[in-house]
Amino acid sequence: MPLGFEVLRLDRVGKRYPMGDVIVDALVDASFTLSEGEAVAILGPSGSGKSTLMHLLGFLDSPSSGEIFFENRPVASLNESQRARVRAEKIGFVFQAFNLLPRLSVRANVALPLAYHGSPPDDAEDRVDRALDLVGMTNRAHHKPGELSGGQRQRVAIARALVNEPRILLADEPTGNLDTKTAAAILDLFKELNRLGRTIVVVTHSPEIAAHFRRQLHVRDGLVTEGGFA
Amino acid sequence: MRRLFFGVVNGFAEIWGHKLRSLLTISCVMLGVASMVLTTGFMEGFFKGWEVSLQEQGGIEKISTTAQGVKERQAPLAAVSPGLTRADARAIAALVPQAALVSPEIEATRPRLVRGGKSFEGRRGARVLGVTNAILEINRYEVASGRAFSDLDLHDDAEVIIIGSKIRDRLFALGEEPLGAFIDFNDRPFRVIGLLQHYERLWGTYNTLDWKNEIAFVPVTTMATKVQRSDRLSYLNFKAADITRLRETVDAASNVLAQQHRGIIDFNVRTNEEQLASFASTKASFVIGGSAIAGVSLLVSGIGIMNLMLASINERVREIGIRKAVGATPFNIFSQFVAEAVTLSLLGGAAGVAVAVALIKVLSATLPPGSTPLLSPSAFVVGFIFSVSAGVLAGIYPAIQAAKLDPIEALRYE
Ligand SMILES: Nc1ncnc2c1ncn2[C@@H]1O[C@H](COP(=O)(O)OP(=O)(O)OP(=O)(O)O)[C@@H](O)[C@H]1O
Ligand SMILES: [Mg+2]
Repeated sequence: MPLGFEVLRLDRVGKRYPMGDVIVDALVDASFTLSEGEAVAILGPSGSGKSTLMHLLGFLDSPSSGEIFFENRPVASLNESQRARVRAEKIGFVFQAFNLLPRLSVRANVALPLAYHGSPPDDAEDRVDRALDLVGMTNRAHHKPGELSGGQRQRVAIARALVNEPRILLADEPTGNLDTKTAAAILDLFKELNRLGRTIVVVTHSPEIAAHFRRQLHVRDGLVTEGGFA
Repeated sequence: MRRLFFGVVNGFAEIWGHKLRSLLTISCVMLGVASMVLTTGFMEGFFKGWEVSLQEQGGIEKISTTAQGVKERQAPLAAVSPGLTRADARAIAALVPQAALVSPEIEATRPRLVRGGKSFEGRRGARVLGVTNAILEINRYEVASGRAFSDLDLHDDAEVIIIGSKIRDRLFALGEEPLGAFIDFNDRPFRVIGLLQHYERLWGTYNTLDWKNEIAFVPVTTMATKVQRSDRLSYLNFKAADITRLRETVDAASNVLAQQHRGIIDFNVRTNEEQLASFASTKASFVIGGSAIAGVSLLVSGIGIMNLMLASINERVREIGIRKAVGATPFNIFSQFVAEAVTLSLLGGAAGVAVAVALIKVLSATLPPGSTPLLSPSAFVVGFIFSVSAGVLAGIYPAIQAAKLDPIEALRYE
């Protein structure tokens, strides 16, 4: 598949956390480009900086050094509201820790990003139904997250990331809590979304899962290296 | 608009999700509104009661003259003055054109009203005054049935009497016709010629106008010659023909009286205006005091709301992080929290109004007269607006705090 234009570009991006007198370099001089329509797996051991990288890609955090460009514009030049708008309309984020709102129903959780659209879409209800259907959670729509298993919560989190039909899907270990069968189904879903033109970045520990993606990035001690094309 | 609607719906869900905290916030506003409405209600009740009693005493155009002790330096001469008499009434009527009506009044010192074994014994007993018809207009009495005094009654020192409703109730059985009947007033039979209207202004169960029902009138001439056997007046009341020339009327009357009394100032001319002035200053201090109370209660409820909103934000840091992560702008978060504050203060305001209404209903049934609060619409409107704005203002600071949270920091918050 021909790759489109550049969506995200990182230019020597670093993230350091000062922890008292110790300084943790969670990410060091990361430079790479994500193009429209790419499917990327990020691999690396625990604590290597994968989540840190994902947060930066999703505008949730700002780098300590270097620069990130979104559609050729420096992210630093966007104010917080503009970044929020991009998050609401163009980016779907699946958190490693799910981050569902415990007091809202599954349905309301999935619908949440639509409330923050510049103009809430008319087919909001349909979109929520479709997203729930895609992850097979339609029958649990009125449950609270607390009443679900870890894998089910993960699927709700995925549905929430899909509901705004994002151009970029960022998923931090989306299959970590799923059995092989469900994991395969979710993986197929991601592949299908990618075939339809969406850019997908998935963090995983598993080389087998990573093998499904055309491009792999390895993170080790905050250093990002290209793993080549599969 | 749609945002706001989202906010309010969300707000309700939040309120329902935190029943105790919401209840506390609502109580804060409720107390603020209720105390504000009650305070203003008490003040208005006091003012209103005062105004009515002033009206029933003749309004501000009434001028009253009473006898008073002379100043020390005039004491040796005091005997020179004839005192306040009916001659003074005639003099004022003749020489003070600004005085519209002149009412000479002689009060019986120890009145006893008896009829067929029944006697009137109120707490202070009945008052019996020797009067002319002028008192009816000056002090606002209405003869409900029968008639007022005729010129002949006054001329002949007739033994006729006009009685108030309470005296009738005491001396006459139900269904008995008082008109034409005889009452012994200080052992002298008087024929009842008129019945006064029944006056009533209830404060709970107490009738603050009862004093107007415990009164009886006889001709001033009869009182002077046959009962008191003295021409001395207890009161000499008159009315200013033109309310704008009240001062002038008082001065003219004072001069005439001084002349009549050969320069001895053994009388005191007073207007209700002075009462009105002292009322105005009382009112001002009441309003200041009341506003202070209301202000403090609003401040307290505002602090309560702010405190609870801040606590709520602390509890919901993760939620704020999640909302921001899925695309909420700082303004979205800000309006969500303000909408919650508004919803809570609206609920609290409504509850406060309800509590105030209930309390006023209960209080006006139990409290003594003159201190019962009034249901004043302006108090409700002001109390409601103030407390809701206190709620909103108190909600703004916490809402700004919430909007400023960093999404990743918020998500990491345990
Ligand atoms: N807020 C923070 N303050 C201090 N150190 C942090 C913070 N966030 C992350 N780190 C550190 O940065 C490093 C990278 O963390 P990160 O969460 O990116 O790892 P990860 O690759 O996602 O690990 P995992 O596979 O376990 O999820 C870790 O050493 C972590 O301790
Ligand atoms: Mg991680």
